[in-house]
Order: sequence, then structure tokens, then C-alpha cells
Amino acid sequence: MNTADRAEALARAAAHFPELSPPTARDLLECVRLELGHEEILDGFRPYGGHLSMAVAPRAILHILSGNTPHAAFQTMLRGLLLGSHNLVKFPSGGLEQMENFPDMLPAELASKLECSRRLEEDWPGRAEAWVVFGSDATVAEFRAKCPPRVLFQGHGHRVSLGVVLDDPGLESCALAARDVSLFEQLGCLSPQVIFVAGDARRYAEALAREMERFASASPAPPLPLAVQAEVAHARADWDFLASGDHGVEVWKGAGWTVVHERGDGFPVSPLHRFIFIKPLPDDFPSCLGPLAGCLGGLGIWPAATANAMRFAHAGFSRICPIGRMQDTPFTWHSDSRQNLASLVRWVDFGP
Amino acid sequence: MVQSTNNYAALEAEIARWMAVGGGGFEDWILEAHQFQRAHNTAYRNFCSGFPEPSCWQEIPAVPVSAFKSAGLRSFAEEKTIRTFETSGTTGGSPGRHHFCSLSLYEQAAAQGWAGAGLPSKNVVAIIPDAVGAPHSSLSQMASWLVPPDGFFFNRREELLACLEEADKPVIFGTALAFLDFFEWMNGRRIVLPVGSLAVETGGYKGTRREMPKSDLYGLFQERLGLPPDSVWNEYGMTELSSQFYTNGLGRPHRAPPWARGLVVSPSTGIEVGEGETGILKIFDVANLGSVCAIQTRDLAIRRGQDFELIGRDPAALPRGCSLAADELLS
Repeated sequence: MNTADRAEALARAAAHFPELSPPTARDLLECVRLELGHEEILDGFRPYGGHLSMAVAPRAILHILSGNTPHAAFQTMLRGLLLGSHNLVKFPSGGLEQMENFPDMLPAELASKLECSRRLEEDWPGRAEAWVVFGSDATVAEFRAKCPPRVLFQGHGHRVSLGVVLDDPGLESCALAARDVSLFEQLGCLSPQVIFVAGDARRYAEALAREMERFASASPAPPLPLAVQAEVAHARADWDFLASGDHGVEVWKGAGWTVVHERGDGFPVSPLHRFIFIKPLPDDFPSCLGPLAGCLGGLGIWPAATANAMRFAHAGFSRICPIGRMQDTPFTWHSDSRQNLASLVRWVDFGP
Repeated sequence: MVQSTNNYAALEAEIARWMAVGGGGFEDWILEAHQFQRAHNTAYRNFCSGFPEPSCWQEIPAVPVSAFKSAGLRSFAEEKTIRTFETSGTTGGSPGRHHFCSLSLYEQAAAQGWAGAGLPSKNVVAIIPDAVGAPHSSLSQMASWLVPPDGFFFNRREELLACLEEADKPVIFGTALAFLDFFEWMNGRRIVLPVGSLAVETGGYKGTRREMPKSDLYGLFQERLGLPPDSVWNEYGMTELSSQFYTNGLGRPHRAPPWARGLVVSPSTGIEVGEGETGILKIFDVANLGSVCAIQTRDLAIRRGQDFELIGRDPAALPRGCSLAADELLS
């Protein structure tokens, strides 16, 4: 299969996952072109400056997946298969059922390029020419330390995502924000944990609470393990207590969602699972995010004008998008601010 | 018969008499203490305004332990504070603070609770700092009522070992971490304490990256000190409480003293779970008169009749997505 054939087959399989913003074949080939310069450059030598060049994919890529959100697994498998590599995919030990069925949707020739397991098979690290690792900083560091020097290493640590509402007198973004918060139970690296609001943040929080309830009515939160329920209950109790005193805190909650408006300094801790904080936008945003520097993921903004995006372009986010689209990443997204195909290939030049 | 009073000292004295005599009346006394706190503790009164008046002890609004960080939870005038104990804390920020205008109920609860659990009062030694060395530690304060001044062996391991080798049925009191440090320091040395000796471990490994399953820790007690699991006790207590809960061996529930109760509630409904079911542990402690008697802990527990089997905080509860748990970052 050449690159175009793989793109076609992958797009057909990806279409089974509409909630994951599946790319079309065109999207996949466009990503190859954008990152590698030519759609067919993985298939043979193509003009490159005054000579010819070819991008050579790793023979095998080891993918380490932690966490239970499907995005990372989906995108990294698509990338590895699009490149034409053999892929050794270690799923989380607790499983990731949705993605573990992905090979069944591929034609045999592509399916044979996927080996998946919930455990790290003994020979996998030695077979791979590139390692792609998703997980906490500790997990990434652990694998980075084990990675042989000549093997490519791509680490993806955990991220915090935020929202900023600069001007929304009609509260038009609230329903969209509720979607961003609620999808994937807020466990994704692009799920907002705090939304900063210019103007009347309390009014925004109240309106968001109504939209969270509306979203939950249509898409109820799934049952949570008891220990997770307890963490959410603890967080609610903590903020309920603060709300009972003169702490500038107000809490709205319903079945499976919580909205907290709070005016204090610092970055509040969300237990996730549809638990969102609304804070007034400080004058020194985003420099007030000090402890989060280096861990920022996506920023949803409203209104999503380019001029507004420019205000935050140097803040450390890898993706700025309209509120309501935070979970809808295009395949060409620079995940973790890098080109994810280009960083995996090596180049061979031919010519004078 | 409970007599309503607006006077802290008078109510404290009545509760002390009731605790000393023992017997029933828990519900009357905790409701009386609750009414007193509602009247005299502003932060708690504000919190209670969101709840109906309790008709039984289970309905008393329980503050989360974090309330001891964010509010001065006093049921007495601030200027009457004589001691403040602080939590060790694990995730930065300010510690929890438990203020006292009198230590007498705390002392009575500690001493009477220890004896009531069946723990001996003779030959008790501690491997934690004394109250002078750790003035903000409630555990050290409690130990000072149970251990004679020359019985503290914090960071004096060689002397502790010598003491244990000489002592007649000693009772060793300390944190799980302190015991673990001691066992590591022993570096393979072993002693066999006489039958009737006991160890009482408490706390966990707060503020450290170390942890060990309880069964492994109890295995070390057997291996290093010759103490079988049934001779090792666990004390469940908190800086935010005045009373303690005890159990011994593995897999047994913690028992409350007559003036306290544990209540295991569903995290989703807040209602008491059924027998053998797991939920969030709330503690109701009449001896906590100076602050708040009803506290929602961060621990999970299994309801075992009137007792509870402690599970603690479940690390599996941490978010498992690729969204960074902010407390992980901020810790």
C-alpha cells in the first residue's frame, strides 16, 4: 500500500469514531504534505530543493498509552499507520475498549501492522525504532530514561486546558463551553478545567450551570467508580463550605456536574468529571498561570478572533480555538506544539 | 439528662462527667454539642444554614476536613485560644488548624479511649517527638498523656532498641512511617518482645513518597520485633478530631469510644450505606466541643455494624485521563 492507499483505508476505519473528529483521506494526505512537503514523499524520492529526497518512517513504533481517553490512542495509531510503520501499541492496563477494536476495522494489510496489548511485551522496546509515550511527567521521564540513544523518542505529558471569555454579553458561548467541559468526562488533555471570564463572571457561571444541566439531560454522565464519586463529593463539600462563608464562592450542581464561581487568587483544583471553575479574568492573564507553565494544552477563547488568539499566542498553549471546539482537533493539529509526523521520520537525499 | 447551656466551661464539664461515667446518651449529647456550636461558631453556623435542623445525630451537618484550613473553626472567642494543632499537609497551601480553648476533653478522650480499647497504660514508649519537640502536633500532644516523659525515643533508635530488649511487655506507639524507619535502621537485626507486648501504629506516610500495604508492615512487626499481627494496633485519629478509633490485627473494623461514632455514607446520596457497603467516612465526636463535632473525612470505609473498616483514600480515584490533575502539578 502506498501513502494514498493507507490514507483511504484509515479514513474508512476512522469514520467509525465520529466523536473523535475522524480525518478524511484528504485530511491525512494534507497532513503528510504540510509536515513532509509532498504527499508521496514516503513512497519514493521526490523533488526537494535542487535534489531528490525521501522520508523514511521507522520500521516499528512503540506507542505507550496511559489514561482512558481515546484521543491519544486514536491519533497516534493513525499517524503510525499513515507513515507505514509497524506499530506496537501498549494500551493502559485497565484497557481502552473503544480503541482496542480499531484493528478490526482495518483491511488485513494494515491490521497486520498493529500489535496491541495491555501489557508491554518483552521484545517490543528492542524492536522499535521510535517510542511515542503518553502519560504523566513521571511516566514520560521513566521511558525517556530507558530509551536507547539511537531510538527516536516522542513524549506527551499531561496537560491543563483553559477557557477565556473576553466578551460575551449574550452568553452565547455557555452552551458551547458546557460541551467542551462535559465531553470525555473532562479527562482529556484538551478539556477545560477553568474558564476565565471578563466582566460578570458570576452571571456567566450561573448561565453555564443551566447549560451543564441541559447537556447532562441529553448526555448523562456515566456511572463513576465509588472512589471517583468520593473525590467529586469531597471537592463539592470543600467548595460548599467555602460558599457558606464570605469567600467569594458560589456553587451550582446537578446530577454529574458542578460549576464553581470563585474569585480567589491561584488555580483551583478540579477533580474533573464535569467539575468546572469560573473565575474573573485577571489583568495579568496568562502570566498569573505561573505554576502551570510548561503544562498548558488548549485554550478555548470567545470571541474566536485572530486578534484575540494573538494575545495568547506566546502563553504556552499548543492550540487556541473557539470555545465549543476544544475537543475537535484537526488531524493537522500540532499536538504538544510539534509536527508529529515530521518528528518521527528520517530523511534520505539523492542527487548532487 | 442533657441541660442546655450557653457556657463552654459548663457544657465541657457536663460532657466530661458523662464520658467518665460511660453508658448511653450519645445522641442527646452530640445534638446538644451541635446546638452549642451552631450558636457559637460563626463559620459553622453559616455552613449549617444550608441544611435542615437535624432530628438525629446522623443528620448533623459534617464539615469537610478542608474547613479547618479555610476557616477558624472555633466555638469560643478567638482570644481564648490556648493551643492550636496543625496538620502536616501533603499538597502545599496552608495547613489545617484545630484550635482549643481547653485541652481537658481531648486529654480525657485520649486517655479514656486508650484504656477503653484495652491498651495497657504501663511501659508505653513512643518513637515520635514529644509535645515540646513538636508543639503543633496533636499526635505528640496525645502521646504526652499516654507516655511518661522519659519514654520518648524519637530519632534515638539505639536507645529504643536497648529499652525494648530490657522492657517488660512494652507498648510502642508511633506513626507507621516512624516504625518503617526504625525497621530499616535495624538492618536485619531482630528481637522477640515478650508475649503481651504491643505496638500501636497510626497515620500513614503523609508527605512522603513511601507507602507499604498494611499486611507488609505488620509482617515487619512480626519479623523484626516478634509481634504477631494481633498484637499490632492501629489508631485512627486526626488533627481535626479529639477522639480516636482503634483496631488490632488485619481486616478488623475500628471501634469508636462511647462518645463518638463513625458513619459511612454514600458519596452520591449522602445517606448511610448498608451493612458491608463502602462509602465516605464521617466522624461524630462529642469531645470536639471547641470546634465542630461532625466531620467528613477524606477516607473511604466499609460499614461494619456500628463500627467501620477503614479503606483510606483510594489512589484509583485519581483522574486517569491525559488531563493533568492540578493537585499533582501543584503538589
